[in-house]
Amino acid sequence: MRTIFLGGLLLLPLAAAQSPPASTSGYVGSNVCKTCHAPVWANFYKNPHYRALASGAEAPEKTGCESCHGPAKAHVEARGGKTTIPRAFSLMPPSQALNTCLACHEQSIGRAQIRRSSHTQADVACNSCHSIHKPAQAKSLLAARQTNLCYGCHNAVRSQFAMPHKHRVNEGAMQCTDCHNPHGAAAPTWRAGLRPRMVETTAGGEEPCLRCHTDKRGPFAFEHAPLRVEGCETCHAPHGSMNPRLLKRPSVFTLCLECHNGATGFGLSGDGIPTQTSSHNMNDPRYRNCVTCHVRIHGSNSDPRFLR
Amino acid sequence: MKMTPRTLALTAAAGAVLYAQPPVAPTPESVGPIRGDEVRGYNVTNSVELGFRVHGVNGNEAAYRSDVNYGNGLRLLGSSLTVNSKDGHGRLFDEVLLNTQGLGNDPYQFATFRLRHNRWYRYDLNWRISRYANPGLTLPPGTHLLNTSRMWQDHDLTLLPESRIQFLMGYSRNSQEGAGLYTQNLFDQHRGDEFPLFANINRRQREFRLGGQLQYRKLKLILLRGWQRYQEDAPLSLANGAGLNAGDNTALNSFSTANAYSGDTPFWRAHLLGESGRWLALSARFTYAGSRRGFAIDESATGTSRLGAAANRQFFAGGSGTRPVTTANFTVSLFPAESVTLTNHTAFHNVRMDGNATLTQLQNGFGGAAIVDFRSLGIRSFINATDALFRPARWLGFRAGYQISSRRIRSVEAETIGAFNDRLFHEQTNRVHAGLLGVRLQPLKPLTFNFDLELGRANRPFLTLSERNYHAFGARGQYKRGSLLLSAALRTNYNTNSVSLFSHSSRSRNYALDASWSARRFVSFDAGYGKQHLDTLTGIAYFASGELAGPQSALYVSNVHSGHATVRFALASRADFSLGYMRVQDTGDGRAQLATGAGAFPSVQVLPLTFDSPQARVSIRFHARLRLNFGYQYYRYAEEFSALRGYRAHTGFSSMLWSF
Repeated sequence: MRTIFLGGLLLLPLAAAQSPPASTSGYVGSNVCKTCHAPVWANFYKNPHYRALASGAEAPEKTGCESCHGPAKAHVEARGGKTTIPRAFSLMPPSQALNTCLACHEQSIGRAQIRRSSHTQADVACNSCHSIHKPAQAKSLLAARQTNLCYGCHNAVRSQFAMPHKHRVNEGAMQCTDCHNPHGAAAPTWRAGLRPRMVETTAGGEEPCLRCHTDKRGPFAFEHAPLRVEGCETCHAPHGSMNPRLLKRPSVFTLCLECHNGATGFGLSGDGIPTQTSSHNMNDPRYRNCVTCHVRIHGSNSDPRFLR
Repeated sequence: MKMTPRTLALTAAAGAVLYAQPPVAPTPESVGPIRGDEVRGYNVTNSVELGFRVHGVNGNEAAYRSDVNYGNGLRLLGSSLTVNSKDGHGRLFDEVLLNTQGLGNDPYQFATFRLRHNRWYRYDLNWRISRYANPGLTLPPGTHLLNTSRMWQDHDLTLLPESRIQFLMGYSRNSQEGAGLYTQNLFDQHRGDEFPLFANINRRQREFRLGGQLQYRKLKLILLRGWQRYQEDAPLSLANGAGLNAGDNTALNSFSTANAYSGDTPFWRAHLLGESGRWLALSARFTYAGSRRGFAIDESATGTSRLGAAANRQFFAGGSGTRPVTTANFTVSLFPAESVTLTNHTAFHNVRMDGNATLTQLQNGFGGAAIVDFRSLGIRSFINATDALFRPARWLGFRAGYQISSRRIRSVEAETIGAFNDRLFHEQTNRVHAGLLGVRLQPLKPLTFNFDLELGRANRPFLTLSERNYHAFGARGQYKRGSLLLSAALRTNYNTNSVSLFSHSSRSRNYALDASWSARRFVSFDAGYGKQHLDTLTGIAYFASGELAGPQSALYVSNVHSGHATVRFALASRADFSLGYMRVQDTGDGRAQLATGAGAFPSVQVLPLTFDSPQARVSIRFHARLRLNFGYQYYRYAEEFSALRGYRAHTGFSSMLWSF
């Protein structure tokens, strides 16, 4: 460390001669930083943030090390030390880290959205998931594999994706961001409550399930109204389930009968969602798998009872 | 900061193993020089893992294919390539990024590719395949099966990516192909028989996107225009003969059907982002998708009815439907002080499904033509939410929110047969008021606690299962110091939805404990336990032997315990070992056997089962650029009340990971 520091002092005049002249505001330029922080600098050209430096068109406060960490003059004069860095991320409260990143990224992320996101409310800042100097993934500079980052806090979701029936997230066929926006999504409107949160709609403003399950989109001549009103999660557990087809119940008939019970006040007409007809003898097992006959349960173009 | 290449390599490896993924391959260890190689002004890093998988299944192989689906054979388990220009001024490109997994033979494959010139363009490709076999045994002996392959590809090209004016172009394709087995009820909708219907599934959606981005001072406008084309023309065939029910006399002599379904969805999307000083931020978004799809069905069947008489049926249907979706969001955030954030969010969503159709059905020479109007359905939602975040001190924070939602549903059910015309109009509105309170505490720098409580009231839920009077409580604690991470979380949801004769209540409680620690550079641990409890009580009614049974209660109880543990250690930077175990078990309500009785089915629904999977992996570094890897993973699925779907599967792989 001492050797590096002495070497840095020797190289300082040379580096200062190559970098833009230091301003009175305390900016010294990235060339000064690299004399001590050579291992960080050695890989920095792979970093997307290097583009601003390479362009040569940005002011010192908007490029290189000091664009994030602040003017380094005091840090250099103090011969290093974390506390002399104006913006040391490991010492910053999450809100300050967020604001530092948003100084440039507010145009791509949207300060209004991220400041109201559940992540910001729980003090999950940018550097909780992104690692500028030691990214595990070059794309998006993620600090670890995306699913592992999410599992770090969302323990229960990890359990759901370990269930026998699940979307293939652990296997790599999907990612959390296929459905969720970790930077804050607009409130979903297929459910009336506050949840689900952080779910990103399709480009056309629809439920994210329809991005892949295009055959369920419709329009159908006869829509199964719960699907459109309350969303797919009326019957399915989207992350994972102990039941086949991500269903919320192990048996289809209980899933159906819990709504089709005739209770007044519910359904399109408010007269209740119709019960099954007397021709269905539930003592006979053939009637217990409703979708054997009601094959088009998500919507049909030719039968109001979804038989065809 | 002193980081040697060795430190970088070990840090990357340790980071990768924490919260390790369940599948044992591909290998997360890295190979080759961590800083890469210099080639003509570019830096290049690469690795390729070529491997061979084997598997063996005892028990229900269809269930194994549904849950796991790894097979035998050679595949490119994984690969990685990065090329970066050293000075950021490459002639043709500045960055190439390629990552793949499972190419060639795995059921889950992906490839991501990026090609970028800092000044002129950026191209991104995301390509995926998921081969999914679903035996569909929702209740044995169910008959719906799927053995399909779904492929996605997304291409995005941005011109002038560093400019204030950018141009965006994109293309996406989503296709599903393969075999399907459904059922068709014939000759009598209530007492007919079901016949297996084989389908060659062929669904395709293509999407084209064109747009731009304009930035002026603190304002940014993104405009996107897109076109989607959906097409489905699954040929169907039906086997002649008896149906699925042995006691039924219905028989089929001939059957033919054609079912075409296609349409377009053009859409617009506009997004405006803006800021003013340090105290105000705005976000506004508008989308419109006008969807139209047409369909035609031509079906004929001849056979024998359950009474022994000759039966024939012809069915024709055709029409088109529209489904315009309009959404708008407007968010304004105020930052009156560094410690205060006030946000108001307004959202509007309107979807309307409408159209026209004609339907003709002829059965045994009788029947008629009918004009069947769509069951028109319109859903309009309006949401306004206000959030406040207040952080008076670094160790203390509060948040509060209030949201009001109003959803109006309109429907028209209509049928026109000759001169007869009947239309039923319905309209209803549901309003939900929901409030949120939260506290964040940080008594010590590495220790944080979060608590939140949400209360909601709806006046007219759509379904008996919908949330009406609900509350949700969440708590979370985390201790993070160095590489040690300890966390505990609790979340409960309770909802009641009662009416005069029926009631629905749902209670869920989730607990989770997790710990991970990289004790030394050569050893790390990761373990966790979670419990998810769910019980729902709902009123049901059904017919049994012609008699209405109900109202009765259906109770569903699920107690899912899940656990995982992984330990990884390295020997002299030469060999890496990883041992892991994952187990998920639903204990139901604790009973040892399925309830039986005189009723149609037990009123208590449980499905106790166990799904567990131990794994082990060895990765040996023979050379700075070469590793040899071996792995084994065992899967066991066992339902407590039935052995029909159970299986035990042994999977393994050997691979060579090298950098050249």
